[in-house]
Amino acid sequence: MKRGLTVLACAIAIAIAGTAWGHEDGEGSVPLDEIRQVMREHALHPPAESVLEGLSAANFERELRALDPHARYFPAGTWRSPMLSRDAWVGIGAGLVFQQDGVMLLPYQGGGAALAGVVEGMWLLEVDGLSVTGVAPAELLRLLRGTEGSTVTLTLLPPGLNAAPVRLTMVRERFRPLDVELVDASGQRIVRVRDFVGGLTRPALLATLDFVLAASPPSAEGAAPLILDLRDSGGGDLYEALDMAALFLPAGAVLGSMQGPDGRSTVFHAPPGGKVDFPMVLWVGPETASAAEVFAGALQYHGRAKIVGRPTFGKCSSQRDVGLSDGSVLRLTNRMVWLPGGESCADVGIQPDRVVGTAMLRDPSRLLAVSMALRHGRGAKVPPPRAEPDAPAALHQEMF
Amino acid sequence: MKACRRMVITLPMVLWLGGCATSTDPREGGLLGGIQGLGSGAYDARVQEREARLEALRRTQQELEGERSDLETRRAEQTRQVAAERARLQRLDGDVASLDREVAALSAQHGRGDQRVRELQSRLAALKQQMGRQQSALDALEGDGLGDSDADLRRRQLEQQRQALQQEYELLMQLSLELAR
Repeated sequence: MKRGLTVLACAIAIAIAGTAWGHEDGEGSVPLDEIRQVMREHALHPPAESVLEGLSAANFERELRALDPHARYFPAGTWRSPMLSRDAWVGIGAGLVFQQDGVMLLPYQGGGAALAGVVEGMWLLEVDGLSVTGVAPAELLRLLRGTEGSTVTLTLLPPGLNAAPVRLTMVRERFRPLDVELVDASGQRIVRVRDFVGGLTRPALLATLDFVLAASPPSAEGAAPLILDLRDSGGGDLYEALDMAALFLPAGAVLGSMQGPDGRSTVFHAPPGGKVDFPMVLWVGPETASAAEVFAGALQYHGRAKIVGRPTFGKCSSQRDVGLSDGSVLRLTNRMVWLPGGESCADVGIQPDRVVGTAMLRDPSRLLAVSMALRHGRGAKVPPPRAEPDAPAALHQEMF
Repeated sequence: MKACRRMVITLPMVLWLGGCATSTDPREGGLLGGIQGLGSGAYDARVQEREARLEALRRTQQELEGERSDLETRRAEQTRQVAAERARLQRLDGDVASLDREVAALSAQHGRGDQRVRELQSRLAALKQQMGRQQSALDALEGDGLGDSDADLRRRQLEQQRQALQQEYELLMQLSLELAR
C-alpha cells in the first residue's frame, strides 16, 4: 500500500509537470481582482466576500482548490480548449496504468504498440532490457519516450495464469488517436470512448457504429450486445454526453438536468431523430468520470444499457472556462448535474449492475464473458480470476 | 567352389537391384527403376502431381494478385474519398470565413456587448478551431497511408464530423441572419 501511494504521488507530480497546466504558487502575477469578480458572477456557490478577499497570489492554487475542488487556473498560454480532441504525439501510442502490483500498458488502436501486438492487460516488465521494478514513473516515461522513428523493445507479461513473458519491438511514430476506437476482444468488437469532445465524439461514434454494422450486421435473435467501453473516459463536454445518450433513448426521454448558481434547473430531453437500438453493455471503472458518468447514468436509469465494471469516479458537476484579461483562464464549477431520476453521482459514482474485481476490470475477455451473461440474464461463468487485490487497481494513467 | 563364385556375383546384383527398386519416381530409380517407373504409369502420376502443384501455386499467385489489386482499389477509392472530403471541407472553410465577416459586421452593428453577438462569436471561434483540427486530421490520414480498415474507420469518422460541423455552420448562419434582420 505504501508503495502504491508513492507511485500515485510521483505520477501526479508528472501529470502536473507534463501537461504544463499546473501553476506554481507565487510564480508570476495572478489577476486576483478579476478572479474574485468571475467567482462572484459565475461560481456555483460564490464564496463569501471575506474568503474572496483572503485569496492570495502566493497560495492561489491551494486556496482555489479549497473553494472548488474542480477549479483550475491556467496561466497565459497554457490553456487548451476542451473542444479539441487530443493532439498527435510521438510515441508508441499507449497509455501506462500505474497499479499497486505493477505497470500495465493500454494501447491505442492503430498506435505502434497495438501494431506490434500489445494488447490490454499486458504487464510491463522491461524496457530495452531494463527491469521496470522500482523505477520511478518519471524515469519510466523517460525510457519509453524517444524521437520519431526510433524503436523500443518491451518485455511484457500477457494476462493469463500460465502466460510467459514476450518481447515486442515497436517504433515510436507520430500518432493521433481515433476519437472513437474499435478494438477487438475475444472476437467481439468493443467501441471505446476515452473523451467526450464537443461536436466530434457523437459523429465519430455514429460513424463507428455504421462501420461495425457494415462489417457484420446483427442478427435479430440473440444479437451480441454493443459493448461501449468507458473505463478510461475521464469526461469532457457535457452536452456531447447528453447528445450521445439521446442517440440511444426514445424522443422525450429525460437525459438529465442542470442547476446553476441561480438555483434554476433545466431539464434536457432526448430529441427525435435517428436512434440506435442495439442492446448495450457499458464498461465503467474508477477512471470513468464526469460527462461519461452522466452518459452512463442516463442509459442505466432508462434501462437502456447494463453496466459492468467498478463504481465510477463520482463527479456530477460542470465547469466553465473564463478567459481573463492577461490571457490566463480560470476554470470553475458553475453547475450541478442531476441524473434523470433526480439524483447526483457526486462522490458516490455510478454503481454497475455487475461489479467485478479490480483485476477483472483490466481483462477484456473476462469482462466480455460477464457482459454476455448479463445481457442474457444469466449468472456469469467466467474463467477463474487472477489475484484480485482489494485496493484500488488503477492509481494513475499516463499517455506516451 | 563354383556355387560359391555364383553367390559372389549374384549377391551384389541382388543388393544393387534391390537398392534401385525403392522408388517409382523416374528421376530417382536409376536406369532400371526409371524404366519400371515409365512402364507402370508412375511417371504420368508424377507429372500430374507436378502439374497440380503448379496449378495450386498459380491459384495462390492469382489470389495474392487479387488481394493486391483489391488493396490498390481500396486505397484508390479511399484516396478519392479523402480528396472529395478535402474539397467539401475547403468549401465549408470558405463558407465559415464568409460567416466570420458577417459576424464581424453584426458586431459593429449591434455593439460588442450584445450577448447574442458574443454567443455567435464564441461558437464561431469554436467552429473555426474544429475546422483547423479537421484539416490537420485529413493531412495525417493521407500521411499515414490509406488502405487498411483503421484508415477507413478514421476517414468515416472525419466525414461524419465534417457533416456535424456543417450543421453547426448552418445553425450559426441562421442565427446571424436572424440577428441581421
